[in-house]
Amino acid sequence: MTNHPTYQINHVAKSLGGKSILHDIDLEIFPGEFFCIVGPSGSGKTSLLRLLNGLEPFDIGEIYYKGQSIQNGDFQKLREEVGMVFQNPVVFAETVKENLLIRKQWDKSFSVSENDLLEILEMVELPQNLLTLDARSLSGGEKQRLSLARTLLNKPSVLLLDEPTANLDPRLGEQILNTMNQLRHQMNVTIIMVSHHIHQAVKHATKAAFLIEGTIAETGLISILTRPATKAAQLFLKEED
Amino acid sequence: MEHSFYIISWTDVFVSLALVALCLFLIRWWRIGLEKIIIIGTIRSFIQLSVMGYVLTFFFGLEHWIYMVCLIMLMILIASFEANRRLDIPIKGYFMMNVYSMSITVFIVLGTTLQFILDVEPWFYPYAMIPIAGMIIGNGLNSATLTTNRFIGELKHREDEIETLLALGASPRAAVDTSIREAIRAALIPNINGLMLVGLVQIPGVMTGQIIAGIDPLIAIRYQIMIMYMWLTTATLANVLTQAMVYRQFFTSNMQLRKELFRVNNR
Ligand SMILES: Nc1ncnc2c1ncn2[C@@H]1O[C@H](COP(=O)(O)OP(=O)(O)O)[C@@H](O)[C@H]1O
Ligand SMILES: [Mg+2]
Repeated sequence: MTNHPTYQINHVAKSLGGKSILHDIDLEIFPGEFFCIVGPSGSGKTSLLRLLNGLEPFDIGEIYYKGQSIQNGDFQKLREEVGMVFQNPVVFAETVKENLLIRKQWDKSFSVSENDLLEILEMVELPQNLLTLDARSLSGGEKQRLSLARTLLNKPSVLLLDEPTANLDPRLGEQILNTMNQLRHQMNVTIIMVSHHIHQAVKHATKAAFLIEGTIAETGLISILTRPATKAAQLFLKEED
Repeated sequence: MEHSFYIISWTDVFVSLALVALCLFLIRWWRIGLEKIIIIGTIRSFIQLSVMGYVLTFFFGLEHWIYMVCLIMLMILIASFEANRRLDIPIKGYFMMNVYSMSITVFIVLGTTLQFILDVEPWFYPYAMIPIAGMIIGNGLNSATLTTNRFIGELKHREDEIETLLALGASPRAAVDTSIREAIRAALIPNINGLMLVGLVQIPGVMTGQIIAGIDPLIAIRYQIMIMYMWLTTATLANVLTQAMVYRQFFTSNMQLRKELFRVNNR
């Protein structure tokens, strides 16, 4: 088997409402990596993740997933394989359990054993007694973990995380990232995380990229996070401190 | 019991204007400020209904089914055009969607009514066909457009939910399922309420007309019952058929929600 990159992004550009949001994006992400994209707010991080999940069209360039252009592929299958956890998680007006099993609504063959369910809950540190609660009554952090658990039940091979720790306290954030890292090792899940937390990225990532003003300023090993070579990345780090 | 048919003369119609005069007097006295459009509305309804009377008489005199079918198609086209203008945001191809969905609805509901309920002879008997077709088209499109506008509202309100479902691997149809259901339910509830309340207080319009014209109330109710059932089915059919086409316009061929269509800043 040839070792295709999980994602290969060539010269991708996107504009919205006449404004260029992403341009000249080139990236390669390989299986099993914990790829962290950092950059200031408004630099296009969320937009880039949405392209990877196929939620949004782009204007030019190509995105290859496992060697296949996503443009002529099966988007439902892509999204099942590539789980996305949004920055502002959405929960449905149902119980936590029904939220977790939402897939049943369109996939009658979907079922989760009680064991798997409890295991996932433990992974994201959601207490079991929440299962029968209305999901809207959860706190922000609990909603985020619910949304992560819901995505994990799809057994994705790639996880796209949009600032996954933004609503969590530092200890829990750390715990979740550790869990993600375990998942990566045990199930060979590729993780692509977007964040403006340099410290978290340094600690967990295996590869990194700076996304600044809609373009990849620099990409490489995580050493670039502390000693970037480009001016744009250096400037961003200085502003972060 | 004696049946009498009270024929209303043109003079009588003008006398009914006295009621409008009373209305205008009150409006003026309390300075509600609707005089002008009330006068326009009074005149327009007079003219439009008169024209309709002549058109109907003309068509009722034609003795070939092809004219009836053409008239019904024309009614569908005009009503679809009107419905298109009542959309909150433009939807590509909505006019044709209405034409398709009304053609099917009319075929099923009108066909059943003429063939199996009224048993008219010939099947295109204009005195039955045209008014019933008008009722089906008016009611169906009214309801379908209400539903479409409500569906657009649901999309605006639920765009994050819809994208979350898509991101989990749902098809567009599955992702908008709640929105479609909510929209159709909202449109059908007036029809269902009508079934619940009919005969308790008000005598429905059609029955009122028939009773005034001297028809036995026990016969008039049969027509009314048939019409209520017809309305319910018409609204349901029209809504289901239209929504099956409408929601697709809000997705790209790659199953992406086209938010730009309903976001305010892009209008
Ligand atoms: N629908 C839209 N129309 C116009 N501009 C948009 C739209 N959505 C996002 N943007 C702009 O795109 C840029 C990138 O946004 P985003 O990807 O959310 O950045 P980040 O996640 O890095 O904060 C921002 O400047 C934002 O204002
Ligand atoms: Mg963002």
